[in-house]
Amino acid sequence: MTDMTDMAVARDAAPTSLDYDVLVVGAGIGGMESALKLGDMGYKVLLVEKEASVGGKMILLSKVFPTLDCASCISTPKMASTIHHANITPWTYSQVDKIRRAADGTFTATVTQKARYVDIDSCTGCQKCEMACTVAVPDQFNADLVARRAAHLTFPQAVPKKAVIDRGGSSPCSFACPAGIQAHGYVSLIRSGLDEEAFRLVLDATPLVGTLGRACYAPCEGECTRGSLEGTLPIRRLKRFASDKHDASGNDNGLARPESNGKRVAVVGSGPTGLTAAFQLAKLGYGVKVFEAAPVAGGFLRLGIPSYRLPEAVVERDIENVTGLGVEIAVNSMVSDPAALKADGFDAVLVATGTHRDSGLGVPGEDRLGVMGATAFLRKIKLGQPVDVKGKRVVVVGGGNVAMDSARVARRLGAASVTVAYRRSREEMPAHHVESVDAEKEGVEFRLLLAPAEILGNAQGGVAGLRCTEMRLGAPDASGRKSVEPVPGSSVTIDADVVIAAIGMAPDTSMFGGRVPVEKNGRLSSNKATCQTGVEHVFAAGDAVNGPTDITRAVGEGRKAAHQIDAWLNGREFDNWDDRLPVVDKQAVLARQKAFTLSAPTPDGMQLEPAPTDFHEIEAPLTEAEARRSSGRCIDCAVCSECGECVAACPVDGCIDLRSTAKTSDLKVGAVVVSTGFKLFPADLKPQYGFGKYQNVITAMQMDRLLAPTRPFNTVLRPGDGKVPDRIAYVLCTGSRDKQVDNPLCSRFCCMYSIKQNQLIMGALPLADVTVHYMDIRAPGKRYDEFYEQAKAMGANYVKGRVADITEKPDGNLLLKFEDIENGGAITEAEYDLVVLAVGVQPNRDAEELFEVGELQLDEWHYVNEPEEDMNPGQTNIPGVYVAGAASGAKDIADSIVHAGAAAAQVAAHLERTRPALPKIEMVPA
Amino acid sequence: MPGANRDVREVIREEAVWRPRILAALSSGPMTVPESAAAINAPVHEVVFWVFGMRRYGWLAELKESEDGGYFRYEPTGRVS
Repeated sequence: MTDMTDMAVARDAAPTSLDYDVLVVGAGIGGMESALKLGDMGYKVLLVEKEASVGGKMILLSKVFPTLDCASCISTPKMASTIHHANITPWTYSQVDKIRRAADGTFTATVTQKARYVDIDSCTGCQKCEMACTVAVPDQFNADLVARRAAHLTFPQAVPKKAVIDRGGSSPCSFACPAGIQAHGYVSLIRSGLDEEAFRLVLDATPLVGTLGRACYAPCEGECTRGSLEGTLPIRRLKRFASDKHDASGNDNGLARPESNGKRVAVVGSGPTGLTAAFQLAKLGYGVKVFEAAPVAGGFLRLGIPSYRLPEAVVERDIENVTGLGVEIAVNSMVSDPAALKADGFDAVLVATGTHRDSGLGVPGEDRLGVMGATAFLRKIKLGQPVDVKGKRVVVVGGGNVAMDSARVARRLGAASVTVAYRRSREEMPAHHVESVDAEKEGVEFRLLLAPAEILGNAQGGVAGLRCTEMRLGAPDASGRKSVEPVPGSSVTIDADVVIAAIGMAPDTSMFGGRVPVEKNGRLSSNKATCQTGVEHVFAAGDAVNGPTDITRAVGEGRKAAHQIDAWLNGREFDNWDDRLPVVDKQAVLARQKAFTLSAPTPDGMQLEPAPTDFHEIEAPLTEAEARRSSGRCIDCAVCSECGECVAACPVDGCIDLRSTAKTSDLKVGAVVVSTGFKLFPADLKPQYGFGKYQNVITAMQMDRLLAPTRPFNTVLRPGDGKVPDRIAYVLCTGSRDKQVDNPLCSRFCCMYSIKQNQLIMGALPLADVTVHYMDIRAPGKRYDEFYEQAKAMGANYVKGRVADITEKPDGNLLLKFEDIENGGAITEAEYDLVVLAVGVQPNRDAEELFEVGELQLDEWHYVNEPEEDMNPGQTNIPGVYVAGAASGAKDIADSIVHAGAAAAQVAAHLERTRPALPKIEMVPA
Repeated sequence: MPGANRDVREVIREEAVWRPRILAALSSGPMTVPESAAAINAPVHEVVFWVFGMRRYGWLAELKESEDGGYFRYEPTGRVS
């Protein structure tokens, strides 16, 4: 190692247009060494490392053999020199996607810098985000012995010491929410017992937390990955749980009135769109006034949804989240000219008046007494106005959710019978399946494939029945639903005293008298992306624009409208409000685990009666135990849940940005060093040794972590029960020199790292007995054999002979059956507390993926081939591409460094040969 | 100790769910991992993951010199959220 970090040698720019002289792929000990040597020679090096820190496997080790130097102590200076070197550009948490060789011998590398969601310049490595994170995953840098968090520092000595957030995109539940609520986030918070934080996370999106916890149709649940196992999480009810807990706690909602920004916005309509927009605008400091034509605020929430599904008190509590920010709500205040509100001091106006007009049946007799529209019917009930259906025969025409609500309300009002007449079959019914099923459980009768033809009258001008035409299904129409056609000559009469038409809703724009642009279909006209109407300061959003949807879509519209109004009022370009990351692949999520333990979903909580008589809430809340258990079933699809706790904990504003995206660049380089290292043999491929089955059978890398100063436990403990082991066995050559697993090669350093660990264990656990089962000890390096003898002198016991198999005793101890060659070859059995498998190494097949198929030559064991290994180590079959370290075969640390130095020299020679003119070297300050 | 091994990812994911139960058990005094497992009626090898996850993030700490039959005892640190 030279001191070139501070005083770098820089070459004059060569007469090429290279971005970098050299690309080094992989920043383990080999990659770092090659990069440093080349940087010291003055070449500009791009060092790409897929992990968030340089250091490779060496930094994870306890000590190195045979010197027993602390691995961290000797690695970290090299790691720091690497990333601070004036001639080295380190791209950690990045990957080389492809390398293509050009005709002139240079290379174009496509490199992706993955999103780490943390600003590398402002992160201080304080780990407060990690402490606050609510998602636990196995820590691969501790060989899965302990948990880490989704937000984490790779390991304590990470260089750069910057956090990274493990995030694969959007979780399906969150992605599915039209309101943009982080469903995964609040589930994760509830799992952690952070119920108030869960409430506030939802509140960040909308004031309607309790409302959505009850009346949302939960598209999140339809996308829950757990749904493909044994059943979805009750995500909506978890939201209600958080809301109810908040209400019961008496806590304030944590929102203070913001400082006024001096601008005012009027919102016309107080449904979910209007309330959400008002809430979001108020948080930004706007003075907001909501105008509501009805005598109560809440729109359809308060005037349409029956209270057995959504109690009025819940809506009113949610509205307090809005008024608590200083928003004024004026009821009984119809606005007929929204644009004119500008004259009253409003800088912008949002029209979100919903769909409160019933579509008519269009059949004779519709004007009879006893015929009414569903929204009018529901509205009267909600306002406490008299509606006489008691003891009467009620027919509801339609198959949507409003039809179901109307039918179930009529049941509660004491109707003698309630029949839903629908012109298609049950499968085509637009109502959510659960709504029609629940309606049936409450005694509602369904008459299907009947279309209304006439409302029959009685002598008093009232209704006597509904004459229908029978229908039959045909081919699917453009919407995918089967078309229907009348059965010629058919006629069916349903006796009825009351007919409720629930065949559709539309905006009522009559009050505007053409002063707000209206589409031909009667809906308000505005730009779907910006919400802006033809009148510059008037915006329109929600169902009044889109037609009847549902609460979550309406909430999402409100958020979008607020965002765009804020942009317009501040002179910013309209942008895309939807900044969700792409949704993760559910199959990939499921493939992360070898198996899932099935966990029965929580029962739905519906308490239905066949003849309901009142409007009490029909869905039971989740109990605390149910909430914890249900949230504990979440499988953290995107890993990071977007719960926001890291953002709240981070002391640097703006450091964490969960909307970051990856960046991909094409870079021209003069040469490439492949330093992708090796992989460890998966020990479970030797099933006779029980790894993955017996908890106290571990790998040597796991033992190195247990011995390291940054160990996962407080000392060397066995993972099965946390006991300090007394008798420890090593099984050498696990997965190496073994044709059964197709790896005949010796891994070169397993003997030596085992001997190292033997010595360290005897230092850490002076009373422990260590026994090594080996085929033969390979210790050919300088001071290696002496190191072996030293271990024996310390008391380690070496037994020559293969281990046949390992079995587990009830107390977790392990019985090894082995051949004892030096004692006559007897098959012997011995008992141990802990068994360490000295696993061999395998080639890292990532190397070949860097190039076109077959371009980079591999040897017969799939390591990168060196055609002239003896005379030109480091050269590959591709001119300009070199290999450093264990990517070309198993090497210990010292040999890797030597090999990486040789590769660097080869690179330098190549660059000098291929440069058109040799530039002058001069010393320049770093 | 022998018992079905669930996927490590699944076990570790549940740390937050089991945390209050472990803390409640330890509120009556420090315990070893097997004692904690018995107290919350969970498999010992799974409790190892939760106890050491909690130790890593400051919920628990081992008692110094508390080795008891080869087992350390762990106690709450006072971290509450």
